[in-house]
Amino acid sequence: MAPSELTPSAAPPVARLIEAFHRLPGIGPKSAQRLTYHLIRMPQEEAEELASAILSVKERVVLCDTCANLAESAECTICGDLQRDQTQICIVEEPLDVVAIERARVYSGLYHVLHGVISPVNGIGPNDLKLRELLERLRDGTVKEVIVATNPNLEGEATAMYIQQLISPLGVAITRLARGLPSGSDIEYADDSTLAHALESRTEIAGRQDAGTE
Amino acid sequence: MVSKRRPVTYTTDAVVVRTSNLGEADRIITLVTPIHGLIRGVAKAARKPSSKLGGHLDLLKYVSVSVRETRTLHGLSQASTIDGFRGLRDDLERFSRAAYISEMAERFSVENGANQPLFRLLIDVLGALEKTDNPEMVIHFFEMRLLQLNGFAPELSRCVETGVELEPADHLYSADRGGLVSNETRPVGEVALLPASLNTIKLLRFLARTDSANADRMKAGEDENRQLSRILRAQIHHVLDRGLRSEAFMDEVRTRPSHAQASSSPESSSASSPGE
Repeated sequence: MAPSELTPSAAPPVARLIEAFHRLPGIGPKSAQRLTYHLIRMPQEEAEELASAILSVKERVVLCDTCANLAESAECTICGDLQRDQTQICIVEEPLDVVAIERARVYSGLYHVLHGVISPVNGIGPNDLKLRELLERLRDGTVKEVIVATNPNLEGEATAMYIQQLISPLGVAITRLARGLPSGSDIEYADDSTLAHALESRTEIAGRQDAGTE
Repeated sequence: MVSKRRPVTYTTDAVVVRTSNLGEADRIITLVTPIHGLIRGVAKAARKPSSKLGGHLDLLKYVSVSVRETRTLHGLSQASTIDGFRGLRDDLERFSRAAYISEMAERFSVENGANQPLFRLLIDVLGALEKTDNPEMVIHFFEMRLLQLNGFAPELSRCVETGVELEPADHLYSADRGGLVSNETRPVGEVALLPASLNTIKLLRFLARTDSANADRMKAGEDENRQLSRILRAQIHHVLDRGLRSEAFMDEVRTRPSHAQASSSPESSSASSPGE
């Protein structure tokens, strides 16, 4: 049901805003109405600030020429930071994955954002991803390690396999994020792939190593 | 008076054929099931690492899942994996073929349309594809059996134009007419005809009456495989009135070398579809 059908008595500008919200991902007609009526009650300056933030995102945000992350200019802040390790590239599916990995504060290399993942049933193939740009970056030999950090689901794994086949002739080390049981989860509920990966990637715990069991 | 219907909850076996993200952390899952046909449901919080559902409701997993029916998207819970088809997940070529198979199964399924034979076929062929060294023939077997199950079995013994029994010789195939056309017949009107050599015709007849294990053991030459692929795909396109999205990726993976040349770009490694 279209929001305007839900609000036949709403003034045209109100109905227009409800429809605009409804087009956003994850926003249903009811949420669109709630957001609209919240905005109507909002102070003028707050509404203007929101409108200006939306406009500036559209006007000023571009893709970084190097890593395809979101940036304010042709070079993003991460690619422009010479303190970062220039020999490592972490490949992620979406810009939000860069934010998540940066939040962990353990990685200091560079990124490459694919803007998607190979999804045959949705008609998304390798040509729809930023893979040509990745090959260009690897050509000069500066990068020594590529960390494939696509999501640990089937399409993410397929994309990782494709990347591995594509860049292995370049002689760059290719690594994959470890997969296994997440912190706070129950083994009882783990699926077979997760358990298999967790068992395959098991590590010797420090206590036994110290005891000289090798 | 409008009576309030109590929500129906049931547990079913299913194969996950499509996933897409919804909202903050939910996922929409499309399932092929034996009794309830195609089901679209929401797995709440499935994208969170701590989710009990996410690992089970991944693409191409054979699962048992609890479904709570609603008017729109059903609610999914209590999923557990019956078979994760691990062999399809660690090999790009097998994955590309399995994606093609699952897309076909989805296209031939309808909501609330029980189709136990299709479900059993899907499980059987995904299992076969996991281990086979002869994936082409397993795919052809699936294509042929899917057509048969849905009432589109190709006519392979008589000419579809004249009804005359075919001589053992090379003939032609018409997807529009749904079967072989004698090499001595010219159909009326514009009809696309595909070549079908005697060996290809024998293989089509074999595929029409065999099972996945025997299909796996049957080897075919490159020419026969190409003809089989063109004929069966053309027939499926004709039935569905469109091509399948996963074909392009499957063809690309099949034709590219296992390790791409360093100089190659993703564009240069793409291959053309055999087409119709």
